[in-house]
Amino acid sequence: MLIIGEKLSIIAKRVREAMMKKDKGPIQEIAKTQWQQGAGMIDANIGPAEDGGEDLMQWMVTTIQEAVPLPVCLDTTNYQAVEAGLKVHNNEWGRPLINSTSNDPERFPMLELAAKHNSQIIGLTVGKGGLPADAEERAGIAAEIMGRAMEYGVPLEDIYLDPLVLQVATSQDHALKVIKAVRMFQELNDPPMKTVVGLSNISNGCPKHIRPILDKYYLTLLIYEGLTAAIADAHGVAETAKTIDIIMGKTLYAHSYLEM
Amino acid sequence: MAFVIPKETYSGKVYPVTIGTGDNAVTFGGENVLPFNGFEGSTPNKPVIAYEIQDIPPSDWPENVKKPFEAVSGDPVKWAKHCQDTLGARAIALRLTGTHPDRENLSAGDAAKTVKDVLSAISVPLIILGSNHAEKDSQVLVACAEAAKEKNCVIGKAQEANYKTIVAAAMANNHKLIAMSELDINLSKQLNILITQMGFDKERLITDPMSSALGYGLEYTYSVMERIRLAALAQNDATMQPPMVADVGMYVWKIKETQALEADLPMWGDLAKRGVLWEASTAASLLISGAELLIMRHPEAVQAVEKFISEMS
Amino acid sequence: MALTGVEIFKLLPKTNCKKCGHPTCLAFAMKLAQRQASLDACPDVSEDAKKLLGEASAPPVRPITFGAGDKAVKLGEETVLFRHEKKFVNPCAFAVEIKDTSREADVLKTIEDVLGSEIDRVGQKLRVDAILISNASGDPKALESVSRLVSEKAAGVPVIISTTDAGAAVSALGYFKDKRPVLFGANANNIESMAKAAGSFKAILGVTANGLDELISLTEKAKSLGTEDLVVDPGARKAGGIIEQNTIIRRAAIKKNFKSLGYPVITFAQRDDNMLESLIAVAGVAKYSSIIVLSSVTKWKSLALFTLRQNIYTDPQVPMQVEQKIYKIGEPTPESPLMITTNFSLTYFIVSGEVENSRVPSRLAVMDCEGLSVLTAWAAGKFTASKIAQFIKEAGIENEVSHRELIIPGYVAILSGAIEDKLEGWKVTVGPREANAIPAFLKSK
Repeated sequence: MLIIGEKLSIIAKRVREAMMKKDKGPIQEIAKTQWQQGAGMIDANIGPAEDGGEDLMQWMVTTIQEAVPLPVCLDTTNYQAVEAGLKVHNNEWGRPLINSTSNDPERFPMLELAAKHNSQIIGLTVGKGGLPADAEERAGIAAEIMGRAMEYGVPLEDIYLDPLVLQVATSQDHALKVIKAVRMFQELNDPPMKTVVGLSNISNGCPKHIRPILDKYYLTLLIYEGLTAAIADAHGVAETAKTIDIIMGKTLYAHSYLEM
Repeated sequence: MAFVIPKETYSGKVYPVTIGTGDNAVTFGGENVLPFNGFEGSTPNKPVIAYEIQDIPPSDWPENVKKPFEAVSGDPVKWAKHCQDTLGARAIALRLTGTHPDRENLSAGDAAKTVKDVLSAISVPLIILGSNHAEKDSQVLVACAEAAKEKNCVIGKAQEANYKTIVAAAMANNHKLIAMSELDINLSKQLNILITQMGFDKERLITDPMSSALGYGLEYTYSVMERIRLAALAQNDATMQPPMVADVGMYVWKIKETQALEADLPMWGDLAKRGVLWEASTAASLLISGAELLIMRHPEAVQAVEKFISEMS
Repeated sequence: MALTGVEIFKLLPKTNCKKCGHPTCLAFAMKLAQRQASLDACPDVSEDAKKLLGEASAPPVRPITFGAGDKAVKLGEETVLFRHEKKFVNPCAFAVEIKDTSREADVLKTIEDVLGSEIDRVGQKLRVDAILISNASGDPKALESVSRLVSEKAAGVPVIISTTDAGAAVSALGYFKDKRPVLFGANANNIESMAKAAGSFKAILGVTANGLDELISLTEKAKSLGTEDLVVDPGARKAGGIIEQNTIIRRAAIKKNFKSLGYPVITFAQRDDNMLESLIAVAGVAKYSSIIVLSSVTKWKSLALFTLRQNIYTDPQVPMQVEQKIYKIGEPTPESPLMITTNFSLTYFIVSGEVENSRVPSRLAVMDCEGLSVLTAWAAGKFTASKIAQFIKEAGIENEVSHRELIIPGYVAILSGAIEDKLEGWKVTVGPREANAIPAFLKSK
């Protein structure tokens, strides 16, 4: 399973300050740690980034790729910033991932960028206004996104469908609906569609000591249903991912499998 | 093939709660089915409506609901007696509005005296409500709980911010307690857990998921109540099994629909009737979603809801 | 059991021809699974597939269109028992009864009231939807003459003809040809002739029974006579009985897929006491009635019932939104503080409640963010510095307040600098993160 290291987010104070001051140190340090702990891609979340988004994304992509040999997940609603980031992305270490398109017309142009720059893209299964009620509605939106992707010339293999994980503390019923959606998404194409979640959303708003527990068990269930990728803190989930891979026979067991 | 009624057998049951003392004590809760679903279980007690009164004159109530109490609302004792003796109230809810720091800022001692005076004048159960100022309530309600010792009153409302002292006071003086959270089923469960972890008996609790008026978020209260009741019955979740209170009057009598003149909004029709129906229909909706105890203001609205309740079975 | 989108997809032509208006057959299949599309839209689907899909996709509560044209109302199609699970689909219709014993002037007055009942609430147009003409006189001529009057004066309003006399029904229904009226009053004694009368005018048949067992035998009988568009009255008239019967009907249809009860329910709420009648109607709105019959059109009664219907039928997944504007709380002066938040209704109710609590007269700018809460709206790019600045500029608030200070929610403290850059001359103050800290914050200002 692909872990997309999530620690580089503007919501975190330390990261935000580094972004403002264009201080490479903390960014690279976090990216390195994520990489060492098993991340196969690094998420760069610069928020809505209305002002100077293009510069900021370019700076983030190059700063990250200077430090780790990984592709970057470009996480912003700002179209120009995504395009700027794609232009400087070093594809030698893997293709970038746009986060994200959805069923909101404002986000359709992201597909154009994916096609133009040969990028992968996340399809978040929400529309304009309102959350999807259940797994079926998520799958319905997924099918629309897939249809649109074909029109824009984005191959279905390049799409990661994201069912939108919600907080268990406030939207408990969605925890199971998302798991069901991950199963349904895969049935939408052959070969199965790829899937991704923002894992830590599940425990958002919960007491600190409970969060890793919720994240870990939720991830276990999701992987069992076939999840392809998770945006998560590699530190917290690598152990889970590696252990499930062993149990499911995806990697060969050795006493030191956790250290690999 | 004969039709077999698809019945649900719930494993859980709502705790019955008795308030007051002697012949005039009342009990609500105790059912093991959803409201008005008597065909698949038992509803031993009908919902109870308490008349709301205040420790100070209701200067912030709209004219239409002030009027029925004009002659008595200057004095909480007279007001309480009027509700009991003339209107036939089964319970009284005394809201200590005057203790709010931005109102008269009456002291905890003042409030305790009012509680004592009202208690000595009535024989029906008393619900003692703070002014919804978390800090002040924790002083006021502690003093009132003591003043009402052994009268089996309801003390309210304990919230996340102030529950500890209020719970301790209710416990020490043998009262029932309202636990309120703001339209969030998970926080409501959490607060009930915290309160019982202090040693407070869960069968003495009443849950307030926070009310809202028709047209002003009623659907949130409605659904939170339905979900709480389903958790109590279908999941047998003991923390969600206390009966629920709907504090209807205070939310209804501050919105535009209960105050705008017909002359200004002719499409809205008669103001007096509109206000009464607004309170009654909000109350009826919340009864249908699970409330067992209602706190209301207008006598005509109370009468209409009483008739509605009498049609429950 | 309904088919999943993928199962339906397997039965479609898989040509992605787009003739159905969807980009792919898969997308169309997903819409079919959610009952948001009709199989008729696909011109190439095979007869076999049609048959299979038709049976599997029949909704548990039969969908029925009552009336024709602009004022037609959709009934049935419900999929859940509790509104928190998923949106209730088709809001119940309110019908007012006109007895054929009424004087012409009274009939005309009621018609006028129905036509004038429409009000606008939070962007929706709400009204008394239908007229029920009852054959209280027992005289076919009286029923016919009121029917004629209604067809002339209330053209387009969906109509229910209530009688147990199939002969009287035929002459009354003649005035509502092709208007999809309901013929109500089929019972054990007259169901053959009533079904025939309804059938010849393409009317919906309303069956009335004393209890569920009788109702089931009647709907089964109607089906065997070829009449499937039904509305049903299980007989209860008191609040408890209405809720009980409606609950059993809805539960049998949805959880057991019991077709003989899978029809929209009509509830008779009429009482001499208008207040009590309203509360009976409240029970019907909350618990599963599709048509509720009232004795009169009364403005205050309508306002409350329309509002409740709107509340109950709100989509629990789509946050209720309040109108974008600057709300005055208390009686603010030009010096009073100005706060901003998003238009998620719960955010608005809680924030405005706390501002009220503070007793500091204030202005609350509520910005359209598609009903998202503050943090979510920010993350989704809807509550950003430039959008806030634009809103403040366009709201004309600069003429209303003498100061230039905007208080923003603590959760978006990060925006304060950017807003000041985009909103020249304004000072941005960061308010509390949680609404319950607002009173202390405002009082300390």
